[in-house]
Amino acid sequence: MFKPQEMSKVIIAGTKDCMKAAIDVLYAHDVVHITEFSEESEDFKIGTPYPEATKLSEQAISLRSIANYLNIKGKEDVSTKYTVDSLKTTFNEKIERLNFEVSKVTQKISELDSQIKDFTDKTKQLDPIKSFDIPLEMYRGYESIAVFVGLIKGQLSIDNITTDYYLESAPYSRGNAIALFVPKPFETEVFTALQEQNFTAITIPEIDGVPKDLKSEFDVKVSGLESERETIRADLKKLQQEYIDYILAIDEYLFIETQKAEAPLKFATTKNTFIVEGWIPAKRLEQVQGDIDDTTNGQCVLGVDKSETVAVEKVPIALENPIPTKPYEVFIKAFSLPKFNEIDPTTFMFLWYPFFFGLMLGDVGYGITVVAISAIVRWKIKSRGLRALAGVGIYAGVLSAVFGVIYNEFFGVELFGERGLLTFLYTFPTIPRFDNVANLLIVTIILGIIQLSLGFGLGFRNEYAQHGLKHAVYTKLSWLLILYGGVIVIVLVLPQLTKGAGIHLSGGLVGGLVLAVIGVILLFLGEGGIAIAELPSILSNVLSYTRLVSIGVSSAGIALAVNKLSDALFISKGGFFIIFGALLLIVGHAINTALGIIDSGLQSLRLHYVEFFTKFYRGGGMKYKPFGYERKYTEEK
Amino acid sequence: MVDPLGAGLIAIAAGIAVGLTAIGAGMGEQAIGSAAIGVMAEDEGFFGRGLVMTVIPESIVIFGLVVALILLFVTLPRL
Repeated sequence: MFKPQEMSKVIIAGTKDCMKAAIDVLYAHDVVHITEFSEESEDFKIGTPYPEATKLSEQAISLRSIANYLNIKGKEDVSTKYTVDSLKTTFNEKIERLNFEVSKVTQKISELDSQIKDFTDKTKQLDPIKSFDIPLEMYRGYESIAVFVGLIKGQLSIDNITTDYYLESAPYSRGNAIALFVPKPFETEVFTALQEQNFTAITIPEIDGVPKDLKSEFDVKVSGLESERETIRADLKKLQQEYIDYILAIDEYLFIETQKAEAPLKFATTKNTFIVEGWIPAKRLEQVQGDIDDTTNGQCVLGVDKSETVAVEKVPIALENPIPTKPYEVFIKAFSLPKFNEIDPTTFMFLWYPFFFGLMLGDVGYGITVVAISAIVRWKIKSRGLRALAGVGIYAGVLSAVFGVIYNEFFGVELFGERGLLTFLYTFPTIPRFDNVANLLIVTIILGIIQLSLGFGLGFRNEYAQHGLKHAVYTKLSWLLILYGGVIVIVLVLPQLTKGAGIHLSGGLVGGLVLAVIGVILLFLGEGGIAIAELPSILSNVLSYTRLVSIGVSSAGIALAVNKLSDALFISKGGFFIIFGALLLIVGHAINTALGIIDSGLQSLRLHYVEFFTKFYRGGGMKYKPFGYERKYTEEK
Repeated sequence: MVDPLGAGLIAIAAGIAVGLTAIGAGMGEQAIGSAAIGVMAEDEGFFGRGLVMTVIPESIVIFGLVVALILLFVTLPRL
């Protein structure tokens, strides 16, 4: 619970003819974290992958392209699982057949696509001149007549050049579409006149017929082609439904087989033997050991390596926490995994995080909303990270509701008491936030001192385990002494100062000063002069916890403002205005809920990462990645 | 009886405490935020850490807020 899983360093060695069997056993167990071999020497070389690796990855690529055409994403839930044995013998042939069938359909679709595009392009070209009743063949093939078809900006007048012309014109877009026929001799002059009107020519498709008729003809053709395409797409959909189980199974099979075939790249090998170094959770050791021995008839052995001391960074880390605290691992993973001799802070976050969150949000209505949102996310969404956050949200929401009862707040309205919503319920002493700001500030500072003490205490333990008692006293106990000495001094001096009275030297004050000075001396001995510069940070660390009140009061203030505004502006006027009032309430509280979740969540997280963790937690552990795969679409036997 | 001028001055002081610290925090977060976005463009795994780094200067506003709260809820009622 407070420590990562215990790992044993193991070495697996054997002759090369049992390497394949050993890989199969390791892969099936999915527990050994293999340390990749990288330093080649004369005796040991990096292993070569099995020859089938190339073939398998080629197959995987062509399967992926089929899956892509069939719109299979690779995460779908399916009902049937295939056994590895049934896949092994058939997949080659099946992929070929699938490739053939799918490409037949997709080819047909792309042919139809290009035909449809051809017709729609022509329709677009004809669009400006669709109202002219001139057949397309009459636009071309003249010797003595020049033809201008295109778009111009304004009105065309060429009467000053010649009156011997034929003009069709129709409004189009923001100008006019024209078809102008003039005798050849005037061509240049007319063209200049046209250019003044920003003339842009239109290409006439090389087909015959009147534009209007052609357009309706094309429309019919396009809709025919489109419905044909839909039918074929339905075929594709049918193929998808028929083969999805199989494709997912083969994809998984190929992925696993490729990984196995490429596994020797992580091994050290000689001409006839191989050696694998790795880590295994101690509790799984015997089982895997026995299995390897059985499968290879003792030709390959798994032994525990106790010979050398290993650098702590090289031990892979798997967190091990009871199910209720599991969601909080997401925060540890986002920060940094612990090293194997460090305390895993997940449990502490489980205890503190929702408490701080609730203390800040502290409203029955918002608390219930947070629980509801988290429950929906956990129920509907598959993403692991989001589900973990939703798990955290449920705890946080419940605690917010609990603090809401203490603060007597329900969406910013009083819940119990004479002016409350539930006057019929018994009244009990509540702590309304707006009336107790000063007291709550003191409470949060005390909470801060408690959490910081815990942090230093854990830090003491970590330093003691890693560097011995002396170092732990110098670097952690010193800070504890400074913290408590400082607290005593401030508690005794501050009231006198605010009253304007002189400082009265009492026994307690001297004791506090002595504690703090001893702390500073220890710190100086342990960390040198530079640590003195760090001294003020302890004060800002403690004061940082006042955010637990200030953020809460701001959030309660916004809720109050929303309620007052909607009452004063709309609801008090009655009648039709009540609808606007309700809208303002809903929008206002929705925004405040979002702000409350983000702010309380982040600030609580920040108190842990910045104030709490820095006292004891370094992190930097390497993630445990076992060699293996959790089968979803296939099964081994 | 609350002195209206004194109460007004306290309210202004509270406003200044929050307003100025918010500007300060904003200036701090601007640099961190853009750096965090830059890191995220390279590796989206930094989202969580980037977010936390970005809210670190928020402490300044919190202190301003605490000062404002003390002014409004502790000093003002005693007037």
